[in-house]
Amino acid sequence: MTILPDIEIITEIIQRLSISIIFLILLIALARWQKIELEKMFIWSFTRGLVQIVIMALILVFIFTLTDIFLLVVVLLFMCFFAAYTIKQRFPYPRVFTIESIAITLGSFSIISIAVILEIIPLKGEYIIPMGGMVIANVMVMTGIVLERLISDVKKSQGYIEAALALGDSPWNSVKNVTKESYRAALIPTTNRVAVLGIVTIPGLMSGMIIGGTNPLLAAAYQIIIFLMILTSGFIGSIILVFFFIKELFTAEDQLNLLLLQKSRS
Amino acid sequence: MLELDKECPICLENVHYSFNIKNILSEVSVKIEAEGITGIVGPSGSGKTTLLKLINRLISPTIGRILFNGEDITTIPVKELRKNIGLVQQRPFLFPGTVKDNLLYGPNIWRINFSLEELYSILSRVALSPDFLDLNVENLSGGEQQRVSFGRTLANNPKILLLDEPTSSLDIISEEIFETTLRELAREQIKIIVVTHSLEQTKRLTDQLLFLKDGRLIEKTDSKTFFETYDENKIRKFFKPTSNGGEN
Repeated sequence: MTILPDIEIITEIIQRLSISIIFLILLIALARWQKIELEKMFIWSFTRGLVQIVIMALILVFIFTLTDIFLLVVVLLFMCFFAAYTIKQRFPYPRVFTIESIAITLGSFSIISIAVILEIIPLKGEYIIPMGGMVIANVMVMTGIVLERLISDVKKSQGYIEAALALGDSPWNSVKNVTKESYRAALIPTTNRVAVLGIVTIPGLMSGMIIGGTNPLLAAAYQIIIFLMILTSGFIGSIILVFFFIKELFTAEDQLNLLLLQKSRS
Repeated sequence: MLELDKECPICLENVHYSFNIKNILSEVSVKIEAEGITGIVGPSGSGKTTLLKLINRLISPTIGRILFNGEDITTIPVKELRKNIGLVQQRPFLFPGTVKDNLLYGPNIWRINFSLEELYSILSRVALSPDFLDLNVENLSGGEQQRVSFGRTLANNPKILLLDEPTSSLDIISEEIFETTLRELAREQIKIIVVTHSLEQTKRLTDQLLFLKDGRLIEKTDSKTFFETYDENKIRKFFKPTSNGGEN
């Protein structure tokens, strides 16, 4: 199978990408205008993303032919660790990489395994890798939201948390209102996307499958399955993240870790 | 029922607390008496709230140790310590729900059954009528919220009560009732340690006084002696709100 396209297509790709840089410039201009200090992050993310996706496109043909469960697991694990590493760069707190690795891996693998065992999705690279990738990416985003929200809300609710601790409550209980809001913040955007499915959004997986020749109804079914998998694994990943990260937010003496809270920007 | 050790109910031994290289408390060594009401007085930023948080173990000293009933507080299970040494913060920080939910927060942690009469008794101690029990805390005024916060700590049946400017948002009548309750509690052998900015309240309420300035304990005295020894001008200087209020 040939992977590299001919020169005409390469020229077209370069042309289209070059013109699309206008959107990146617009994004940076908006960020500067609103002083949100994300310009460097936009440039870095898109450059990195472009390189990664080009490499992925070149090896995708090979990966899609995989049926060896061991190799599939290795590819998915690599994705999980890379996702955890990405979060770690945004949140330089102690043990974030370890905690995110556990949360993303357990959250996504648990649901992907169930889907494979129950034969909801076939054990083939062309299904497991793109669907697994979507699940892992969304678990990464959702656990990232939970982490960010958890830290900023704990900081804002310091008085309430200390009031509960001062009465003899456990750290876990003292932040239960905060964790509830963090979960909601992570789950609501994806749930909203499901609610407008087919009317406002025609999601990528379904479109890709239809373009690839899959029956549109089967493609639609896979799209619903993927959203269910994303939400469930994202929620599991978020709970695991909170379970482990709470230990970082508090000291062994059930006191708020004030040094860690001070590190947070929010 | 836990009795307070007369020798060392609350003792601080060379306590320092610093955060981000900034010294908040330095070299505080003091024995706080088992009986009566001890007032902590000092200008803003002198370390009064920090001192209360250290005793409740919401934070730990950088150097030194704190003893409760003669025992180093780090050897006492932290939840048990916090039940016995209740803290009422300067702002009420009520939990979402009703007044009843808040009053039962502590007893629920300890799985203690509270009768309706006991809840009414707590409400009456904090000058609130029984009608308040099922009200949502969002509908209460600042003063009422402060009283619920006090009641919530009382429901835990503490042996020592730490209060951080408890009457700052109360009207004069509520303040009087509040002070009466504090005196009643002190008579019931509950040790009261109260941070206050008010000279008049200090005069009315306290038996002993600790003066803090720039994180240091500059004077410990009994209130009667203090108010008899110094003239009014000198006394007022101790209660100045600025950081150069007290005298060394």
